[in-house]
Amino acid sequence: MDKKILYLVGILGFAIGCWGLADFLSAGDAHTNYGSFVVWGLWVSLYFLFGGIATGCFIWASLDLIFHVPSFSGTGRPALLAALVTLVAGLAAIALDLGHMDRFWKTIFQANMSSGVAMDVWGYTVFGLVTVAALIVSATEPKNPTLQAIMWIGLIVSVVVSGLPGKLMGNNAARLFWHSSLMPLQYLLQSLMAGGAMLLVLRGIFLRDLPGEYQPGLLGKITSLLVLINLFASYVFLTQSLSGNMPEIAQPAQQIVFGHFSTSFWGLQIVLGSIVPLFILFIVRGSAGSFLLGLAGLLILLGNAVARYLVLVAGQQVDPLEGLSSSFSGKGLTLTYSPSMTEWAVACGLLGLVILGLRAGFDRFLPLAHSPKE
Amino acid sequence: MANEVQPMEKGSPSPPVSGGATIKTPEPPAKEDVLLRMNKELGRALKKNEAQRKWVMVIDLRRCIGCHACTVACIAVNKLPPGIVYRPVTIQEKGKYPNVTMNFLPRPCMQCENPPCTQACPVHATYTNAEGIVVMDYDQCIGCRACIAACPYGARTYDFGGTYTEGTTNEETVVLGESRADDYERNINIEYGRKRVRTNKHSSPIGNVRKCHFCLDRIHNGVLPACTTTCIGRATYFGDADDSTSLVSELLAKPNVGQLKAEFGTKPRVYYIL
Amino acid sequence: MNDITSKKTAMITRRAFLQSSSCAVAASAAFLRDLPEACAAIQKAFAAGEDVDFFEDNPENQIYTVCLQCNTGCGIKVKILDGIVAKIDGNPYSPWTLWPHPAYKTPAKEMGKIEGAICPKGQAGMQAAYDPYRIMSVLKRKPGSKRGDGQWITLPFDKAIDEIIGGGDLFGEGHVDGLKSVRALTSADMAKEMGEAVKKIWDEKDKEKKKALVEGFKEKFKDHLHTLIDPDHPDFGPKNNQFMFVWGRMKGGREDVVDRFVQEAFGSINMNGHTTVCQGSLYFTGKSMSSKWNSKNGEFDSGDKFYWQGDTGNSEFVIYAGTNLFDANYGPPHRAPKATEAIITGRKFAVIDPRCSKLAAKAWKWIPIKPGTDAALAMGMIRWIIEKERYNAGYLALTNQAAATAAGEPNYANTAWLVKINDKNEPTKFLRASEIGLTSPVEALDEEGKPTTHYKTADGRTFTCDVPVAMVNGVPVAFDPVDKKAPAVIGDLLVSTEIGGKKVKSSLQLLKEEAEKHTIAEWADIAGVSEKDILILADEFTSHGRKAVVDIHRGPSQHTNGFYNNNAYYTLNLLIGNYDYAGGSIKAKTYDRKGSKKGQPFPVTKMFGSHHFTAFGVDMLRTKTTYEKSTLFDGSYPTKRPWFPIASDIYQEDLPSIGDAYPYPIKILMTYMNGSVYSLPAGHTGIEILTDIKKLPLYIACDIMVGETSNYADYIFPDVSYLERWEFHGSHPSVPWKVENIRNPAISLPGWPTVSVYGEEIPICFEALFLAIAEKLDLPGFGPDGFGKGIPYRRPEDFYLKQVADIAFGEKEDGSDSVPEANEEEMIIFLKARRHLPPSVFDEKKWKAAVGGNESLWKKVVYAMNRGGRYQDFAKAYKDGQVTNTYGELINLFQEKTAKCINTMTGKNMIGLPTYLPAGTDYLGKVIQDNGYDLHLITFKTITMTKARTISNYWLLSIVHEGYVLMNTVDAAKLGIRHDDTVHVTSASNPEGVWDVKGGRKIPMKGKAYVTEGIRPGVVAFPLGFGHWASGSADMTINGKLIKGDKRRTVPLHLNAAMRIDPVTKNVTLSDLVGGSAVFYDSKVKVTKV
Ligand SMILES: Nc1nc2c(c(=O)[nH]1)N[C@H]1C(S)=C(S)[C@@H](COP(=O)(O)OP(=O)(O)OC[C@H]3O[C@@H](n4cnc5c(=O)[nH]c(N)nc54)[C@H](O)[C@@H]3O)O[C@H]1N2
Ligand SMILES: Nc1nc2c(c(=O)[nH]1)N[C@H]1C(S)=C(S)[C@@H](COP(=O)(O)OP(=O)(O)OC[C@H]3O[C@@H](n4cnc5c(=O)[nH]c(N)nc54)[C@H](O)[C@@H]3O)O[C@H]1N2
Ligand code: SF4
Ligand code: SF4
Ligand code: SF4
Ligand code: SF4
Ligand code: SF4
Ligand SMILES: [Mo]
Repeated sequence: MDKKILYLVGILGFAIGCWGLADFLSAGDAHTNYGSFVVWGLWVSLYFLFGGIATGCFIWASLDLIFHVPSFSGTGRPALLAALVTLVAGLAAIALDLGHMDRFWKTIFQANMSSGVAMDVWGYTVFGLVTVAALIVSATEPKNPTLQAIMWIGLIVSVVVSGLPGKLMGNNAARLFWHSSLMPLQYLLQSLMAGGAMLLVLRGIFLRDLPGEYQPGLLGKITSLLVLINLFASYVFLTQSLSGNMPEIAQPAQQIVFGHFSTSFWGLQIVLGSIVPLFILFIVRGSAGSFLLGLAGLLILLGNAVARYLVLVAGQQVDPLEGLSSSFSGKGLTLTYSPSMTEWAVACGLLGLVILGLRAGFDRFLPLAHSPKE
Repeated sequence: MANEVQPMEKGSPSPPVSGGATIKTPEPPAKEDVLLRMNKELGRALKKNEAQRKWVMVIDLRRCIGCHACTVACIAVNKLPPGIVYRPVTIQEKGKYPNVTMNFLPRPCMQCENPPCTQACPVHATYTNAEGIVVMDYDQCIGCRACIAACPYGARTYDFGGTYTEGTTNEETVVLGESRADDYERNINIEYGRKRVRTNKHSSPIGNVRKCHFCLDRIHNGVLPACTTTCIGRATYFGDADDSTSLVSELLAKPNVGQLKAEFGTKPRVYYIL
Repeated sequence: MNDITSKKTAMITRRAFLQSSSCAVAASAAFLRDLPEACAAIQKAFAAGEDVDFFEDNPENQIYTVCLQCNTGCGIKVKILDGIVAKIDGNPYSPWTLWPHPAYKTPAKEMGKIEGAICPKGQAGMQAAYDPYRIMSVLKRKPGSKRGDGQWITLPFDKAIDEIIGGGDLFGEGHVDGLKSVRALTSADMAKEMGEAVKKIWDEKDKEKKKALVEGFKEKFKDHLHTLIDPDHPDFGPKNNQFMFVWGRMKGGREDVVDRFVQEAFGSINMNGHTTVCQGSLYFTGKSMSSKWNSKNGEFDSGDKFYWQGDTGNSEFVIYAGTNLFDANYGPPHRAPKATEAIITGRKFAVIDPRCSKLAAKAWKWIPIKPGTDAALAMGMIRWIIEKERYNAGYLALTNQAAATAAGEPNYANTAWLVKINDKNEPTKFLRASEIGLTSPVEALDEEGKPTTHYKTADGRTFTCDVPVAMVNGVPVAFDPVDKKAPAVIGDLLVSTEIGGKKVKSSLQLLKEEAEKHTIAEWADIAGVSEKDILILADEFTSHGRKAVVDIHRGPSQHTNGFYNNNAYYTLNLLIGNYDYAGGSIKAKTYDRKGSKKGQPFPVTKMFGSHHFTAFGVDMLRTKTTYEKSTLFDGSYPTKRPWFPIASDIYQEDLPSIGDAYPYPIKILMTYMNGSVYSLPAGHTGIEILTDIKKLPLYIACDIMVGETSNYADYIFPDVSYLERWEFHGSHPSVPWKVENIRNPAISLPGWPTVSVYGEEIPICFEALFLAIAEKLDLPGFGPDGFGKGIPYRRPEDFYLKQVADIAFGEKEDGSDSVPEANEEEMIIFLKARRHLPPSVFDEKKWKAAVGGNESLWKKVVYAMNRGGRYQDFAKAYKDGQVTNTYGELINLFQEKTAKCINTMTGKNMIGLPTYLPAGTDYLGKVIQDNGYDLHLITFKTITMTKARTISNYWLLSIVHEGYVLMNTVDAAKLGIRHDDTVHVTSASNPEGVWDVKGGRKIPMKGKAYVTEGIRPGVVAFPLGFGHWASGSADMTINGKLIKGDKRRTVPLHLNAAMRIDPVTKNVTLSDLVGGSAVFYDSKVKVTKV
């Protein structure tokens, strides 16, 4: 796609984001819609999404940089860059979500390691460091043992870290809907899928003119398979929640599948986010550099964003005690949640950031000198 | 989801009493208001070493009339902003006309002995203090709200900033106006021995999670928790369970005592009488 | 378990931290050991906020005063930090907040850490004081705008006073009379003389002679006729009466000042309160049942305006009928603990209420009665009790005071007295001994030596009047009802016979026959309850001796038949003889605040500088004399508007009477704390009248904000809130102790304006308004010699502190009943606690001067004020199972005085006995059929709301944030309405279903449906307190600047405008023409889904 368009879209998103940020900084939490029942909303789900893409990308990068799978040759460094950019966006999302951003450092230096959040932060920090290291090392010498070591460490870290948000949620006995051992595994699967999708996006949108024998077929196939596996995982998760008569568990699933989230679920997650991309990847099968590939990737990411959002939000739309949400009214004391203008604007900004980060990254920092023909 | 109060192992569950007779012979009214008795017991407990006190709250659901005096007293004493509530009271209607009753459930923080909330905190901003009370360190809290998500009781709420008076008129020459009217809620926010001024949108406790602290400052100074002294149904009792002669110990010895959502293994220090 | 969870928090202040060089080391060591505490310590050292000493428990930061967030008047302790209210708690001395309450003599210091329980409204009280919409300047309707347009200008206090006094073309709408010209009669002597002449006219029964007296009056006062409203009706009184003062919520102190100002200084007879919107018929049932035997003339005098409630803390069984104990009443802090104690100690209570109140939810039995049929249910019980002889015969047979005294009973009833029966088999009057020859009249002299008639029996006993008769073992006996030393008479209870050709029945017999009009099953049917329930209730009620009680309040009272519902329930109490018994029916008792007892230091109401005016004439509400006595009487009925021979303070009749100029036109209306158009049923009818400048030329209000009623005023004078002012809150009948509550200024608002009156600087407030008018009109009873030569009344406390002194002194001439003097410690507490008050409010010298500079008295005043009032010790209220503060007199089962009264709409006599009448009648007594409107509308209070007043309390709004229509699932299903659906309520007299509040605004009566199992099918209910159109909810402009209303205050819904308008007079709610109540529970409505 035309670089200019990408820059334009990125800048536009970024600009909207700046407005959102300014509004957020001046109004504080007054203009956000997350609350004391639904404590985590759009931003946290974006954090999970971006974090998931980042770790996923790293894992995919290892196909090139560790295993040197030919058909992925040259994708390693772009994937690493994507990992870094999305990680930054994810961390920005979570930082904004904090009541006291300025104290973010405490999560590292004064961490309580029994806390899922602290584990997450540590995980992403380590992951971030490794990614940066990998990027730096890979820039100088593609096949050196240091890189191999770093990549191996990174691979393990990525696998673990991609499951951490799942663990954070799954560990939480107070939110019975999340309280499932399936959660970390689901998150890992989603990361793998998202990483694949991101690679499709890179190939189909950002790096269309990437020279070399780039094999879209294999990437597409594996990603499709992951889409299918994720569909199955969702199916297992939701049907399991629906069965049995624990309202705390069944109700969120009910809301997702049949309730007021059902349009997003069926429309965005299932049809647009899974079936359409599968259709594109299997039936249409774009050629190398085809925009359709990128579109499929985008749709998968969209579906994944929706999936993460739904599980996160629906799981919180349950009264901890019967009648609690109607016992007192006030800011944040409601079970219904939909992101506010400010939240959406910031989300746009994060997307803009990712687009700009990738575009500029590919244009300036990753001359991709040695990647294609090697 | 139902507000089931599980009886504790030691006693057999007694049926919920909806106002009927459990004891047949009428008893004469008490000789001393329980508030005075508990006040004395509080003084006694304060003489003990911190670690020897076992603060508990006992709430007699038979006596709770769902008046919300406790809810508002708590807001008033802690000057809670909109959206923060430490002690809501839920109301559930039960039965079919004309056999109808209502259950009122006041819900302070359970001050769990095994609190999932503190474990969830990434920065030790919430922890159990020496007296067994789960407290907040507002200057440490990063506002991630993981502790809210972790609490099975919904006992934590997030401070979004703002005042109740916000957005009202400010034509000061003719009416009192917001900037004078909000003095009472803006200037005085005292918790954990500290007076905090809500001047900007990011000064703690704005952006923090907040919760009931068993009125730490009050009890340290020999004053019962605000929700307890203002309980017009005399349904709320507070004291030292380590003192075998205290009212709370007396009540806890009865068979009809239960805990809320005991299956979570949180070991609440708030007990309910059924 | 985590070991980091059990370490001590290090307490490091910022300063300490910075100073201590080893601190960093210590901190970093701690950092590793116990991270959370270390974090806390470090953070704390650098963070915002400052350590504060705990201030709450220091008595020097506490002022004891009295809550007025509702009318219960709980004692409160206002905790103040930096001059601002930090917290409000219960006053531990007050019997309202602790049970039992601690000894009055407990030193103030020891109470620092103790606080009693108050309700959520009490807790939220500072939000009423610190309400951003409090007005701080006098507002005047902007000339050129209409009343209700919300257009105001401010003007200086003095200028405003000049305008309302001088009148003139104030609004560019033509001339308006000011207070000066309305006060046409200025001579107190003349007023007295005229008043006496008018009384003669009234007392004259002969039509012609009456006419002659009127002519004589005109002749005698021919030079002063211009001071009268209508010389042809001299009994309308002077033009002064065209100034009318109407208050809503007002308590002692201010009430006494109003008396002084309106009647004794200004000289208008027209001042009244809001009794009938509240629980009017309850008061007037009490008044009728307590009607007193007058031994001088052998007739009945008026009773006391009061009512009884249950001493439920000692009851073994209680029936709460229409008593909303846990949400309202007088009040939850005081009454709820008694009920919850009963729950756990197994003492039963039943609740009769169409709605499952919180109290009903906790009751042994909830009886969802059909609204308006309480008397039927009671009659069913009465029938069973009489048939089964379950009444307390021994007590009921005590026929006179002497018998009661002999039996050790505190009171007695006229149960055995014989009543004459007319041809139509109706009771008329008590039989008098002379009528059957038991006594015969003899000439005699009375105590003052004036000739009078005495009555002698055949055996030589003399009575000062013609006494009543009872059967004693079948023999008629004349007896003295009230003389303790007379022979005791134990009468036969059920008597129906003829004596000397006269048909007579005993009162109890009359009751029995009334109850036998229907079978119990039929009574149950009328009341919509099961017969079994009536039997169970009656059985239980009569199984606890005197420790059972029926406790009633607005539920039975506010109906067109309210008087008789109350009467029937009170009769149940009478049947078991529970009056003045612990656990039975009791009445309130307060310390004298008027100095009317001998020896009290300040007889304030009598301390009146120069001439005190005696207001006279027919009052606007037609309560102080009867139609038949007045010059308006021409033998015809109905009258244009009803007269009220029993009730007074008929709030709902104020505005319609002004509107109809009946009996005469009003020129100036002044209201105080009056929410009538909001609070009255069909209150919207009042808006029509208030906005009509022809019907009401000048309307002045005193309010703390632009309220629902003051919204229509021409001038609004700002008042101070209950936390800034004086009042004596008095007591309620459920309080067995003798008490008085002293409301006194706890705070002063930041920047609150002051005014100058009589050279004194005082806060702008209600008192300032009166003082300023008095100063400019040179009214007696105010100013430098207001209380007599050299005793000034220039500041609010000049009046109130004298009253405090009276209360502190007590009621014994020798002072043996007085409170102790405050000691040094308490004096210091008193002064320090007031250190934040400006001199315009608190100045020790001035306060002391107000009690005559008497050091000892001042210290007693301080002692009482340090306790927020005066409270009898707990144990003193009871003795041997009885209460010590007794009613202690005759209780009328048959009310002769009531039976003599005429309902001027029907021309018929009122009924003097408990009886069942169908509810929902118009002013002519006809039952209204509103076909097509099938749901019965009732209303109730939630604990979070009081009237129009608590909408400013945002904490409370967080709990119940809007009103709703409570309806049964069955009704909802029929109408296709689901919980939380928006519905619209309409009625036959408001088919559009709107509040037309003028200023171009019509507010539809729409709100959420609350679908529940907890209400009788066919009945819908709504909570009071929402649906505002003023009180800070609406935009208004002041001096051209927009004052934006607050959306949170506009929340729906208020359905008083759906309540039935009387089809006869067309401008008022339905009313109980006997007991005076405005009717809240007899309207039919339609509820539709929107
Ligand atoms: N929260 C709060 N408390 C208050 C006040 C307030 O405004 N708010 N105001 C104070 C004042 S001024 C007063 S007068 C008292 C009033 O105290 P209450 O009279 O005890 O209170 P209400 O809610 O007016 O009670 C009326 C009750 O009667 C029921 N009822 C309606 N119709 C009938 C009927 O036909 N028969 C029977 N048996 N019951 C019926 C209603 O459902 C309701 O429960 O409360 C005082 N306390
Ligand atoms: N639907 C429904 N209506 C009811 C009832 C009900 O249960 N349901 N209850 C009824 C009962 S029991 C009563 S007693 C009446 C009460 O009716 P009212 O006595 O008429 O009303 P209040 O709300 O007490 O006070 C009226 C006004 O006083 C003003 N005000 C408030 N505080 C102050 C102050 O400190 N100083 C001055 N000067 N003014 C002040 C405000 O403008 C307020 O609107 O309402 C009755 N109305
Ligand atoms: S109730 Fe919730 S907030 Fe309180 S200690 Fe337990 S888990 Fe923590
Ligand atoms: S919100 Fe504050 S207290 Fe709660 S978990 Fe996060 S940092 Fe800890
Ligand atoms: S103990 Fe104190 S902080 Fe906790 S709910 Fe009660 S009043 Fe609120
Ligand atoms: S104050 Fe007491 S009676 Fe009222 S809701 Fe709270 S616990 Fe229940
Ligand atoms: S019952 Fe009434 S007077 Fe008592 S605290 Fe509540 S609002 Fe105040
Ligand atoms: Mo009232």
